[in-house]
Order: sequence, then structure tokens, then C-alpha cells
Amino acid sequence: MLSSFASRLLDALGPDVVRAAPEDLAVYAFDAYSEDKLPSAAIVPHDAREVAIAVRIARECGEPIVPRGAGTGLCGGAVPSRGGLVISFARMNRIVELDVRNRRARVQPGLINLDLSAAIAGAGIFYAPDPSSQKISTIGGNVGTNAGGPHCLSYGTTTNHVLGIEYVDGNGALHHTSIDDSGYDLTGLLVGSEGTLGIVTEVDVRLMKLPEAVRVCVAAFTDVESASEAVSAIIGAGIVPTALEIMDALITRAVEAHYHAGYPENAGAVLLVEIAGTHDDAAAGEAALAAIAREHGALSWRAARDQRERDALWAARKGAAGAIGRIAPNYYIQDACVPRTRLPEVMHAIDAIARDHKLPVGNVFHAGDGNLHPLLIFDRRERRQVEAVVAAGTEILRTCIAMGGTISGEHGIGYEKRETLSLVFSPDDLAAMGRVRDVFDPMRAFNPDKIFPSGAMCGEVKTPAALGTATA
Amino acid sequence: MIAKRNDALRLGTLSPARVLEPADGVELAAALAAAAAAGESVVLHGGGTLQHSANPPVRYDSAVLTTRLVAVHEYEPRDLTIGIGAGMTLATLRRMLAEHHQVLPLDAPFPARATIGGTLASGWAGPRRATYGRSRDLLIGATVALTDGTLAVCGGMVVKNVTGYDLGKLYVGSQGTLGAIVRANFKVLPAPPEQRLAISTFEDDNRERVVAHVGGMTVPPVALLIRDGFLALRDAPRPEDIDFRPQIVALFEGSESTVDRAMREYRSALGAAGVAETRILTGAAASNGFQDVLDEYVALAGAVSFTLLGRGLPADAPLRSERARTAFPSGGERGVSVETIANLLTGDVVARVRAPAALDAQTLAAAGAAVRSAIGRAQLIAAHDAAVPHVDAWGETPSTIATMRALKERFDPQNVLAPGRFVGAI
Ligand SMILES: Cc1cc2nc3c(=O)[nH]c(=O)nc-3n(C[C@H](O)[C@H](O)[C@H](O)COP(=O)(O)OP(=O)(O)OC[C@H]3O[C@@H](n4cnc5c(N)ncnc54)[C@H](O)[C@@H]3O)c2cc1C
Repeated sequence: MLSSFASRLLDALGPDVVRAAPEDLAVYAFDAYSEDKLPSAAIVPHDAREVAIAVRIARECGEPIVPRGAGTGLCGGAVPSRGGLVISFARMNRIVELDVRNRRARVQPGLINLDLSAAIAGAGIFYAPDPSSQKISTIGGNVGTNAGGPHCLSYGTTTNHVLGIEYVDGNGALHHTSIDDSGYDLTGLLVGSEGTLGIVTEVDVRLMKLPEAVRVCVAAFTDVESASEAVSAIIGAGIVPTALEIMDALITRAVEAHYHAGYPENAGAVLLVEIAGTHDDAAAGEAALAAIAREHGALSWRAARDQRERDALWAARKGAAGAIGRIAPNYYIQDACVPRTRLPEVMHAIDAIARDHKLPVGNVFHAGDGNLHPLLIFDRRERRQVEAVVAAGTEILRTCIAMGGTISGEHGIGYEKRETLSLVFSPDDLAAMGRVRDVFDPMRAFNPDKIFPSGAMCGEVKTPAALGTATA
Repeated sequence: MIAKRNDALRLGTLSPARVLEPADGVELAAALAAAAAAGESVVLHGGGTLQHSANPPVRYDSAVLTTRLVAVHEYEPRDLTIGIGAGMTLATLRRMLAEHHQVLPLDAPFPARATIGGTLASGWAGPRRATYGRSRDLLIGATVALTDGTLAVCGGMVVKNVTGYDLGKLYVGSQGTLGAIVRANFKVLPAPPEQRLAISTFEDDNRERVVAHVGGMTVPPVALLIRDGFLALRDAPRPEDIDFRPQIVALFEGSESTVDRAMREYRSALGAAGVAETRILTGAAASNGFQDVLDEYVALAGAVSFTLLGRGLPADAPLRSERARTAFPSGGERGVSVETIANLLTGDVVARVRAPAALDAQTLAAAGAAVRSAIGRAQLIAAHDAAVPHVDAWGETPSTIATMRALKERFDPQNVLAPGRFVGAI
């Protein structure tokens, strides 16, 4: 029996757009973090008009609304924790307009991140934010989480590349924002709002010129601490390459086993460096970085010889989570950020926390940004291990906060960290954010249970229905 | 003494009854709460360099100066981040960062007076932003005093952060209508080892060739401007000395070898376009020269002038600036002239309208409207007091104005902060 909500959607939008059968809804119940309730209905709209119609109906029926990209989010952001309506952007995946001369494009939110850069590479331009999930995650989801990626070190994150947004508000009205408009920067507010302020139906993005020369190099270290020292020293010396990534031994071995990209398998940690610019700058940059790496104990330094080798190193790095998924029963990926001088210290602390909780930990992270991703490995059939993961995750976040850091560098708060948010921000700070929510979404219909603490303020990482389903 | 000072803080026809100089954020927040309780209005003041980038307030009981909010809250040069009080001037910040070979490229005019808070609140986005980003992109955290007396923090001291809403972006460009920025955290950049400024005068007939040739460079400059007029006053002390031939100004930054290469390429591009002579400034002269260019953005000229900054696409910046210069055909007879700066990398077009003192208000307003429609979404950035009543600071109201009004209402329900100064009479 269809709910009256689902029937109204069907009447308005037809069976091609509306999904209401439980077997069709199962795919909208989870993201890469957790699994939750089935929504009452889902739509797969063709355009913003259909989104607006559905939002109006949901509003009239008092149903919450959860926008969904590819569901690769790692904090439960796309999970319909209270049922309601899920809006999937799978069909709205076009580049609507490309302006090569002015280096900008207007795209639909369902466009896969990598498809954008692939489509425009011929014109010598690219879209800079490159989350490791870029082969599957969408521009709309990236806007939702203000996604980062390895190359954000010098290019900035999603928010620095979004010029304007078209969105549907809680009344089903369509708006367009631009960072060049006078008035408050609504574009800046919408990016990173995790679907809680409005439904993004189009995005104007900034594109960049492909660099003339790119060097990708790999340095081997005895351990993560010394690799981190090298990163701190590089940034401290005022050198900001395009990417500075670290993988520890566990990750490197897992990655090599699968990709055979040429990482030194016996290293305690590897540093992956990319330098882009003019030929001269790339050469000089490599020399300067190699010297600092050696001073900090690099055992080897190797530059990829050609595009194929560079691509292989990056493909392996971006496939790290997947590679771990193949060897670990389950893993839980944490995301936090610290000032870059604190890297060696925080890596040491993370190691100690994992050992305390008897959990194997892998580290693969955007070291140049101070953005950490410890992966805690566990077996979710073991109750003790699940508890240990939750406890260790919270301890890691507390440690990062104590070092002047924060609890999410790029994955967002979502459902997972909403209680933890009050460890970073005071009630006054959160109240200011709440004012923005009041304006955009007074009914709290957009993505409820996300970002904001429930009020319990226990400061614990949420234990989801199925912690660590992210094994893909 | 006090009265004189209050008069110096006059905005439009209003002077404040009181001038407050809170010692820190807590005092500032308390002052805002007290004003809210008393039903009074408050206007925040930084260095006053961009005060005409918003309309005069409609009520104005107190001026709050940020002069004492100059603390360095956190600066670990090795993190490439800094947290400072909003009242610090850009010049002070620049000196402090220079000691560690670092920069914060906010590119605001008159850095000895311009404050961090004012630069952020005005939403100033300078000419190098195609390379380095806008102030909104460099800001990583902020503390803001709200009219309920609270201090609200957003962001932090890390360069990547998706922890709650990015409220820093909301406060940047809000012209002090939502809250008072008391502290700002930035990511800073390593100073480029080499900086060179190239200035060439060319003939109007060559314009298209110049634009086409410099557009195809493989190593582009960080700023590229075509100026028609806007010469530093010291270059042309008398109006009849003004050289109205266009100038192309390019700033190059980076390693020595890359800048060398870029300069060679640039000069050959100009040569191919028939531009014979280029004056090149290096080192401190380059950065001072670039600062002079920035200062001219908001410099006043002649008896009455006002300056609009319009945003649009880079490719049509030359066209929009041309339209601005010819927007007011009867201008010549009445002594009205329009000077422009077209930014070929960001698409900004700056247009300064000069008029004789005797010009009637209607003509002045018409000139403003004509120039505004030529250059795109335009905001006032400078004006003689005489021009202020006739040129709205904002022009076209954005379609999202209802949401903006709601934000104002929710952040400042008693309309304490800078009433009437913002777009749509917010
Ligand atoms: C293997 C792997 C690697 C990853 N690597 C990175 C990385 O390097 N950097 C990084 O930042 N993240 C990374 N992630 C996390 C994830 O990919 C990003 O958060 C990504 O931005 C999510 O995109 P999505 O399309 O999957 O969105 P979803 O997960 O579907 O949604 C993410 C959030 O955005 C909201 N949203 C989606 N579409 C819209 C819309 N149209 N309007 C409004 N809100 C919307 C959702 O409600 C949700 O809150 C990784 C994830 C995996 C599984």
C-alpha cells in the first residue's frame, strides 16, 4: 500500500521519476558510512522543476527531504535518518554550459567529479577539487561536503571553486546565487552545508589551466612520524607544492598488492609529492623538496618518469580505501585536521590511541593540509572491537582539538559527528549557525539529524546502525 | 575635540552622538548588546578607506572603532596561518608577515589605514584574486560579536575545515550589518621570491591587438590591467597634464626564472602588438608601484567624482570598460569624464566618473546609471561627499534579497548594525 505522500508524488511526477517500492528504496537507505531507515519515497528528477514540485509536496505532507549524490559520503550525510523523501541526482548529470575562454562551467549536481575534468581536458583546463572518490562522487555531493582532495593543498577546496549555485528552497522556489552578486555570500553558505539549507540543482564552477609541467615523486621513510616531520618542514620552509600525501606501511602494502604502482613496499611510510608549474619551477621545486626530505630521513626519492607512472601512483593513492577494504574485514575512516606543525605529534598520539584500544590503524592522508585520515581496522561481528573503534575515534578527535585542530577537514559532520561538534564550538557559536538554518530551513525539513547536535551534547562519535559498512 | 572627531566619522548627513573604542571582543559585544537594549544604532569603523562602498546609514547613534583590536592572537609562521584582531592595519600585518617572508594578498587600497576588519566587511576582492583567491578564500576562521552580546566563533586555525557552517563567508562582504568581526584567521602564503611590475602606454588604435597578444601568454601575470586615465595624481598635477592614452599594467610574481621567462614573453607579445616602450619596476619599487595602482582605485579626482567597481566575465572586460567610457555621450560638453581600469584576469571593471562642481544632481545620477549599466554588477567603492546622495552604493538588488533580509532579521532583529547601509536598504 502506497503512502499518501508517495501517491501524491506519483500523481505529480509519474512512475519514471518516483520510487516507492521497498526493493527500489533500499539503495537510498545508506551511504559509505552507515545504513539507516528506508525513505518513504525517492525521486530521480530530470530537472530543477521536478525537484521543486517534490519539495512542495514533501512540505505539505510534513516529510523530511534528503538530497543525495553518489552516497560516497563518510559521515552519514545522505542517510534518511527519519525516512521521508530522498532526491537522487543520478539523472541530472550534464555539463549545461562550458565557457572555455572565461574558464567556467555550469553543471548539474549529479555530474561525476572526474567526468567534468575528463570532458574539458582537451581544452587545456581542469576542475581542481579532486576527492579520492572523484570517479564516483558527484559535484552536488562535493558541494554538500565542501569536498577536498590531494590537490587542494595549493588549489583550495570545493568552496574556492564554486562561483554560483542554483537551489530549491523549503517552499519549492528556485534561486540563483553568485559570488559576484552584491549582498550576503549565500554561495559560500550553501557550500559545505550538507544538504541542510537547500537542494542544489546547478553549480557554476571555476576551471583552471592545466599546468605546463607536473612532477610526481615518492620518498620512503622509516615511519609516519619522520615523514610527517618532513611535511612540517616543507610547509615551514614556505614551500607549498600541489600535493603532499602520506601513506603508512600498512596502506602502502595494501595499495601495492593491488595496484603495483611502484611504491616502496618495505618503507615504514611513503610521502607522495606533486609539484606543478613551469618546467623550471617544477625542477627547482623537486630539488628543494628532495633536499628537505633527505634532511628529515628520507631513505629514497624517486620521480615518476612519465604520465603513465604518474597516473599509476595517483590511482593507487586514490584507491587506498578500496585496497584496505580488500584486506580488512571492516574499517572506520576518521577525518580530522590539525595545524601542520603538530603533524608528527598527532601521528604519534594516534598510534598510541590505536595501540591502547588494540586496533590496527592505517594512515593515508593529506599531510600538507594537516588533514588526517586514520583508518581503524576491526571486525564488526566483534562487539568489543566496535566499541573500541567508537572510543578510539572520539579520542583521536579530542586529541586533534587539543592540538588546535578540528573534527573534520573534508568529510563533513553529517550524522556521525554531530554530537562531537559541541567539543569544537560553544553553544553561542552553534546558535549563530542555527540562525542561518532558521532562515533557510525553519521547519528543519532539509536533512534532519545532520550537523547540529541533538541536544544531548555527550560529545561522542555516533555509533551508527552498522559501523564500518564502508568496505567498498 | 570630541565633537570634531565625531564629525570626522560622519557618514552622509549623520554624525554619531558617541564614539566607542572597545578594548576587546567582549567589550565590543557588550557595547552592541547595550545599543540593542537602548534601541540605538551602531556603525563599525575600520580605517575609513572604503566607507563609501556602502550607503550612509539611516540612523547612527554610535560609532564603534576597532582601533584597539590589534592583538596578534596566534601566529606560528611554520603553519602558514595567522589569527589577528580586526583592527590591525594591513600595513602592520604586511610588515609582520614580511619578517617571515610571508604575505596575505588582500590587495586593498591605503594599507596604512585600511584594517583587516574593514577589508573583510567591505568584501574587497583585489586584482590578484584570479591567482590567490578573494579575502573570503583566504579567511579560515573568525570571531564575531553579535547584537545579543555573544561572541560567535566559526572556522579555526586549520587550512581545511568542514566543521559546521562556513559563517566566515557570510560575514565577509556584510558591511558590518550582521555582526562585528573582532578576530580573523587567515592562511598566509610564502612571499614570491620575485616581483616585477610592467607599465606600458599604448595607442588607442592598438587596443585590440594588445588584448589579443597578452591573452595568449603561457606564463600569465598575477594581475593584468588596462587603464584609461586613473593616473596617479602626482603624475598629472593639473587636469590638462593627464595623458589619456591607455596603459597596460602587468604584475609578475614567482621564481626568478619564471618571472624572467614571463617578462620575455610579455615583452614580445607587446612588441608584436606594436607597443614600443615598457617601464619595468623591480623589487620594492614593483610592490610600491602596484600599491599605487591599488590606491588609485579609490582615489578621488577633480571637483566631484565617484568610482564604481563592476564584476563580469574576464573576456568582455575590455568591452565593458569601453562602454563605460562612452556611456555618457553628452559628458564631454558638461565636463563629465569617465576613466576605467579593466582587469583582464578577473573581469572587474572600475570606472571613475569625474564631474565639475557645478554639475546638477540629475546629470550626475544619470552618469552613474549609464556607467553602471555598462560595467555589469557594480558597487560603489569611492565617492566625494557631494556625489553620495546621487549614486546608490549597490545598484541592482539581487534576486535572493528576501533571504538576505531574513538573515539580517535573524542576526540583528533590532536593526542595530549599520541600518540602511546594505543592499536593498538592509
Ligand atoms: C573511497 C572514498 C574516498 C574518499 N575520498 C575523499 C576525499 O579525498 N576528499 C573528500 O572530501 N571526501 C572524500 N570522500 C568522501 C565523499 O566522497 C565526499 O564527501 C563526496 O563529496 C560525497 O559526494 P557524493 O556525491 O557521494 O555525495 P553524498 O554522499 O550522496 O552526499 C554528501 C552530502 O551532500 C549532500 N548533497 C548531495 N547532493 C546534494 C545536492 N544536490 N544539494 C544539496 N546537498 C546535497 C547530501 O545530503 C550529503 O549531506 C571519500 C569517500 C570514499 C568512499
